Amino acid sequence: MPDVILSNLPFLLDCLKVTVELALVSAAGGTMLGLVVALVRYLRVPILAAVFRVYIEFVRGTPLLVVLFISYFAIPALLGYRATAFGAACLGFILFIGAYIAEDIRAGLASVPEGTINAALASGLRRGQVLRLIVLPQGLRRVIPVLTGQYVRLFKFTSVASVIGVREMTGGAMLITAREFAPITILIAIGATYLVICTAISLGGRLLYKSLAVHS
Amino acid sequence: MSYHFDWLPIWEHRDILISGFALTVAVSTAALVLAVILGTLLGTLATAQSRLLRLGAGTVVECTRNVPLLIHMYFWYIGLAFLRLPPFLCAVFGLAIYSAAYVGEIVRGGIDAVARGQSQAGLASGLTRGQTLRLVIYPQALRIVAPSLTGLFSQLIKDSSLASVITVPELSFAASAIDSDTFRTFEVYITISVLYIVVVTVTSNMVLLLPGAHRSQALLRVADA
Repeated sequence: MPDVILSNLPFLLDCLKVTVELALVSAAGGTMLGLVVALVRYLRVPILAAVFRVYIEFVRGTPLLVVLFISYFAIPALLGYRATAFGAACLGFILFIGAYIAEDIRAGLASVPEGTINAALASGLRRGQVLRLIVLPQGLRRVIPVLTGQYVRLFKFTSVASVIGVREMTGGAMLITAREFAPITILIAIGATYLVICTAISLGGRLLYKSLAVHS
Repeated sequence: MSYHFDWLPIWEHRDILISGFALTVAVSTAALVLAVILGTLLGTLATAQSRLLRLGAGTVVECTRNVPLLIHMYFWYIGLAFLRLPPFLCAVFGLAIYSAAYVGEIVRGGIDAVARGQSQAGLASGLTRGQTLRLVIYPQALRIVAPSLTGLFSQLIKDSSLASVITVPELSFAASAIDSDTFRTFEVYITISVLYIVVVTVTSNMVLLLPGAHRSQALLRVADA
């Protein structure tokens, strides 16, 4: 391994930890938000469904960087609180990825055939039970590949948090390039780290999907 | 909530917004053209008969799209700083190569979706391999991939905002400049969000302009992008 990486390894690993924390918090929060939004839209809850639709259209038409600026500068200015960079990044990522996950989950729920739902209702299940026992398990299983793609995207996107001052892997790498003169080595090293982790997430998603597959 | 809305400073700085908007369109268009050329090449190689070529194209695609766009941009701007490329070109190269991997995947899928018999018929009727691709496969594949491709274009426009990080004064950069000048934080970022949403919506609906596009599959909302 090149010297410049070895001598900065503890620092880079600390930064990697921040990247992973950022990704985990945002993935968990974004999935929960996405699930709630998807359910509200799927069940066509009055007013709330319309509000969430505006949220989805807004976020999906806006670049991630602008969403981060909004969560770091604009929302705190509007509500009058001081945001930390890490907290604002988490909020921004959750709001951002949540909108995409919501649409994916909604599509998954909508893909459960009408006939299956009618059969469940005819067999005496109540509406809530049909949702919990039939629609959610079938619909969610179908969206695992798409959600895996969103998590990979999210992991890459955590690099943008460096722009608002979070010292994650990309931000840390930039600090090192400012101190030592080996930008290509450092960029390739962290690029490879992203590559390995993203590939691992994809593989994990594929394994999970296969293990939950229904054999007919 | 004690925030007082004041949109006037935004209007007064409209010239910065307009030039930023123009630069966003310029970066995106240049990157788009380059990404489509590179991506078509990659996607075609990924369907080649030679196993080595297929494997090579697949590896390039995976290694390119699993690395964050920001790293791609830093690679050209900081990694290759000794080349002294203008930031605009660094942004275009970074964005184009990153997006080319996605275009490549879409093109590969499109070519695979065109029935095998089509290329066999083309070859049997005396066309060369190049002619078969150009006259038989590509036109049919284009129609299949058009919706995914327009979705990708919208993504590319949004991604171009990262050019601001390497000092290209496009729309997001303009917003930061106006914000630090006027402190109308909320108003500025909402304004540029709306501008992005407008461009992205227009781009998503461009699939309508393609011959043979159906109205039912078109009129895409932003959410479909």
